[in-house]
Amino acid sequence: MSSQPQKPFLGFGLGLRTEHYQEILDQQPKEIDWLEIISENYMIEGGKPLYFLDKIRQDYPMVMHGVSMSIGSTDPLNFDYLKQLKALINRVEPKWFSDHLCWTGVDHKNMHDLLPLPYTDAAVNHIANRISQVQDFLGRQMLIENLSSYITYTADAMSEWEFLTAVSEKADCNILLDVNNIYVSSFNHHFDPLEYLQGVPADRVWQHHLAGHQNTGNLIIDTHDEPIIDPVWELYEKTAELLGSVSTMIERDGNIPPLVDVIAELNRAREIASPFYAAENHD
Amino acid sequence: MTDNSRHEQDSDLHELQTRFQDYITGKSEDFEKDIISTKDALAEHRLGAYYNAYRIRLIDCLATDFAVLHKELGEEGFELMILEYLKLYPSQHPSVRWVGQHMVEFLQHSERPDKSFLSELAAFEWTQGLCFDAADSKQIFMLEDMAQVPPESWPDLTFTFHPSLRWLDLYWNAAPYWAALENNEQQHPKKAHHELPTRWLMWRKGTNPNWRSLDVAEAWAIEAAFSGSNFAELCEGLLEWIGADSVAITAAGFLKQWITDEIIVSVQTAN
Repeated sequence: MSSQPQKPFLGFGLGLRTEHYQEILDQQPKEIDWLEIISENYMIEGGKPLYFLDKIRQDYPMVMHGVSMSIGSTDPLNFDYLKQLKALINRVEPKWFSDHLCWTGVDHKNMHDLLPLPYTDAAVNHIANRISQVQDFLGRQMLIENLSSYITYTADAMSEWEFLTAVSEKADCNILLDVNNIYVSSFNHHFDPLEYLQGVPADRVWQHHLAGHQNTGNLIIDTHDEPIIDPVWELYEKTAELLGSVSTMIERDGNIPPLVDVIAELNRAREIASPFYAAENHD
Repeated sequence: MTDNSRHEQDSDLHELQTRFQDYITGKSEDFEKDIISTKDALAEHRLGAYYNAYRIRLIDCLATDFAVLHKELGEEGFELMILEYLKLYPSQHPSVRWVGQHMVEFLQHSERPDKSFLSELAAFEWTQGLCFDAADSKQIFMLEDMAQVPPESWPDLTFTFHPSLRWLDLYWNAAPYWAALENNEQQHPKKAHHELPTRWLMWRKGTNPNWRSLDVAEAWAIEAAFSGSNFAELCEGLLEWIGADSVAITAAGFLKQWITDEIIVSVQTAN
């Protein structure tokens, strides 16, 4: 395992969404420190999305977040996809790029969903090997994100956080720790979210996601179409206390509210985490 | 790693993933045995989250890509059609952007009595999407650029068109029908089929898709120009529809319109 570079801290950011393009471009809100883009939305040849991307990039640092690498699939890595991703990285010059600890399809089909993996040593080896190939091809480290999940495999041999830790250390990649996803999965699988937070390597956690979800009674579904609920804010506070300064952003993918509403959530994140971050910097 | 050379330790994972995928697509329920049921949620219920999300996500995506087809068929009709579509054309592309790429073909080969109209409506919507995110051009040829071309160069002029340029030959009035539904007009035109097709030119002007119909002479001219014919060859070909005394002015008029539409990015002279 190589020694870790100093963890960068970008501050508090938002996911860039079509509905907010013009407002962000015109007003350049100061509350937004950085933006995350969904990589696949810009892996196109031209037109409006790339027009706004290039304009807004001039005003904000960006990171790239993918949903289609399918790093856990047993299909061969898709190098056509990776070439397009590389071209977008060269265009955007992001601070980093991320994708999910999941698979999206097999036998050349795509379910367009973030499907969980069994937590086994074989899966750790399989995925770590593929992340290493991706990092070699792209010439940089990636961040890998924990999922919301609704199932537990009978084959599981470790906890989710042990799996995430093992993959990140074996592949020497960093972690995008989604606090909402920890909350959702802890509800669905009855584990203690604090045990999760204490179980991940803090030096590898470079980014947080915060988002809303829908509670169907016996399962919580990760929908990103509602405001963040108080228990997730409380978990975020605990995360800030345990893991220190980590670049944090709000993910909203459905039922998109006015920009001012998402910025209000971003300000709440800033209020919650900043005291811990300030204390850390003071030390 | 090729399909045939998966490491042995990956084969279990591959089989597991195949069973999971087969569950999601409705092919088999074998995967339930791989999942732990809890008191509050049985395996079947937990897997339902994935089974349903697959359908909801792709129906939503295609209802955006084919917004007017969605309106035309109604919620239930559209959903049923998409479920059939996904059985025949499961997505194979990393980006959800391309899930609908076989919709026209699917409709053309369906058993629906209105398949001919619906497939043209779908083609019109899909082609607008292709225009929307087609490649950009660093330059657009403007009327003031044309003024710089010496008159003696005109006969040999050839044209390079914007990468977003497409055209469709439609027998139905799918384009005005699309516009009426898109704009939520109270009354929309009756579906009408014509013996000869109308050519619809589609392209992106700035960041927005544009479209207009062409008469038969311009339809021929744009295809010829796109294929590399020079201005003199356009004039000669247009004699089939236009008198010799006005063919040059007609061809020049087409050219002026194409420049105004911003579909020409450059012109080339023989030298």
